[in-house]
Amino acid sequence: MAGRDTHPSLLALTSSALLLPAYQQANADAPPEFTTLGMSYSRYQEDDTQAGRTLGGDSIERYEIDVAQFYLLTPVSDDWSVALDVQWEDMSGASPWFVGLDAEGDSQVFMSGASIEDTRTTVSVNTRYYFDRGNAGFTYTRSDEDDYESDAVAFDGSYNSADGLTTWSAAVSASFDDIEPTQGATPTNTLEDSKDVYGGYLGVSRIISKRAILRFGLSYTYRNGFLTDPYKLQDSRPGTRKEWAVSSGYRHFFAGPNAALHVDYRYFDDDWGIASHTVDLAWWQNLGRKTQLVPFLRYYTQDEADFFSNTPDFSDRYFADDYRLSAFGGITTGLRVRHTVGNWTLNATGERYTTSEDFGIYSGDESPALVKYWRYSIGFDYSFR
Amino acid sequence: MLEHSFTAMAGPCRLRLYGEDELLPTAAAQAEAEVRRLEAKYSRYQEDSLTTRINGAAGSDQPVAIDDETAGLLQYAETAWRESDGLFDLTSGILRQAWDFKSGALPEPGAVEALLPKVGWGKLRWDRESVTLTEPGMELDFGGCVKEYACDSAAAQLRQAGVEAALVDLAGDMAMFGTPPGTSAWEIGIRHPRHHEQAIAHIALSGGALASSGDYARCITIDGKTYGHILNPVTGWPVEGLVAVSVSAGQCLVAGSTATIAMLKPADQALAWLEALGLPWLAVDAGLNCHGSIGERR
Repeated sequence: MAGRDTHPSLLALTSSALLLPAYQQANADAPPEFTTLGMSYSRYQEDDTQAGRTLGGDSIERYEIDVAQFYLLTPVSDDWSVALDVQWEDMSGASPWFVGLDAEGDSQVFMSGASIEDTRTTVSVNTRYYFDRGNAGFTYTRSDEDDYESDAVAFDGSYNSADGLTTWSAAVSASFDDIEPTQGATPTNTLEDSKDVYGGYLGVSRIISKRAILRFGLSYTYRNGFLTDPYKLQDSRPGTRKEWAVSSGYRHFFAGPNAALHVDYRYFDDDWGIASHTVDLAWWQNLGRKTQLVPFLRYYTQDEADFFSNTPDFSDRYFADDYRLSAFGGITTGLRVRHTVGNWTLNATGERYTTSEDFGIYSGDESPALVKYWRYSIGFDYSFR
Repeated sequence: MLEHSFTAMAGPCRLRLYGEDELLPTAAAQAEAEVRRLEAKYSRYQEDSLTTRINGAAGSDQPVAIDDETAGLLQYAETAWRESDGLFDLTSGILRQAWDFKSGALPEPGAVEALLPKVGWGKLRWDRESVTLTEPGMELDFGGCVKEYACDSAAAQLRQAGVEAALVDLAGDMAMFGTPPGTSAWEIGIRHPRHHEQAIAHIALSGGALASSGDYARCITIDGKTYGHILNPVTGWPVEGLVAVSVSAGQCLVAGSTATIAMLKPADQALAWLEALGLPWLAVDAGLNCHGSIGERR
């Protein structure tokens, strides 16, 4: 209704009406009315390394991760809620140890062997306070695995404008991590070390029409400490990393097909020389009132770090052959299904990620270790109405 | 599906709900309670209502404390007053004391003039915390917008309660969301201003609201001219304008005050204004001719 061509009288009446409480319930911040319990299982499986690009010739099985998650959100009073999130991950397989050249001068990846077997338990507790025009939350997260421990805290808040059309949000977080690499198959870059991560976020979203929302955000992250990968042979990284990211998103609901288009874009830049672009497209198709089908597509591309090389020069101060610091592009395609039956909501997702130096917009040495993977997940939520 | 009828705000109220069967009765009860809450809060006739307290303090220079909802309604009423060049005025209800539409008789000489000093939005002082009627005997009447607001608020309650589709009909003012299963819109008949059991037009709405103002039976004929039952707050006299107006808008509150403002304007100006607003509308003039963008189908 309140578009550019709207008659000024109608615009004045409508915007004045929308200030009344009856029209703000939809945006009002209130704790959840019911306790919701959720469980999910997901499996992440990397493709085997390519036979022709692995030192020794044979393809080697890479990482597999099984994740089980438990989630509980419950109101504790008219303006408070608490949430508990527990996640167990079981990781196994081989990861790239180093990249070397074969007799022809082509870069080849040497895998660590199927020596890695680790489990991670992450427990996150959140409490949230709701007030008339917004909410504020505090989250504590503890993550524990054989060679890594992390404690993280985060504060976040959001505040709605008087007309309910604009929401400002902000968050700050800090994480304190200890690294104690498992000694065994391969030598490690440290015996024991630590790092801290501090982050901040500012965002604004605005309902720009009855059917569209626009979002914009800025974030900054500062990492300090041992940032080198402890298990990689040719890896020495700076002790600090400063990261900036700008993100934006647009949601548009189409009444005809009863579907919503989500478009998101993120630009990332850091002082290691890595810049990246991420574009997400998703089509949220409603099928009747109980089923949603969401095909999605993500494109990612990044530039390489200043100190990345497939053939590191050890006389440099910093060097790394980690494929995650190389220039590449990645495409994820997937499908999510959501179905509600009474108090149950069932979710299933399947996605495929493929990557190549050719997909990227930045040029650089292609890492032979670039990863491709499948990820599946299945889960349910139950609301105690 | 659940149909729920009750009487509130001096008229028949009807809810039609679709969704999970087990939650509909509770949702209907919540929506009815919301309508009754607003009736009890804003009725002129209930001794313990906020309106009665505000009117009781008229001329005493004692501000009456108000909550956010009331401040919101006053803010809205002020916007409607400004946008209608003073025609939409919640302080004008008192003028009805001079007019007896049933008898068709003119007021006693001087009766209208005696009431006019107690009428005028400018004689009301308000802020977010309180309201003051500055003239003794002055009256604030939320009747011009609270039924429409109740429609929207009841619909919002139903939506929050998890109802999938609902029509709230408070004596002809309606708000709706979702659509009945297997349909793409609510089919609504607009009542004929003279033959109440007949529809003068139909409109299909997939959401939003429809409000109507006007009633041919309550018109008054003076010297061969037909006047509506709505009184001009500036002259104290009935308006020689349209006899019925229906408007559809996103909110019943906006639809209702738009229809009322159209009734208060001279007929030709009202038609031009409705046209300019661009909302779906239907107007019936004194000769029972239909105008507007809502198709005439019998």
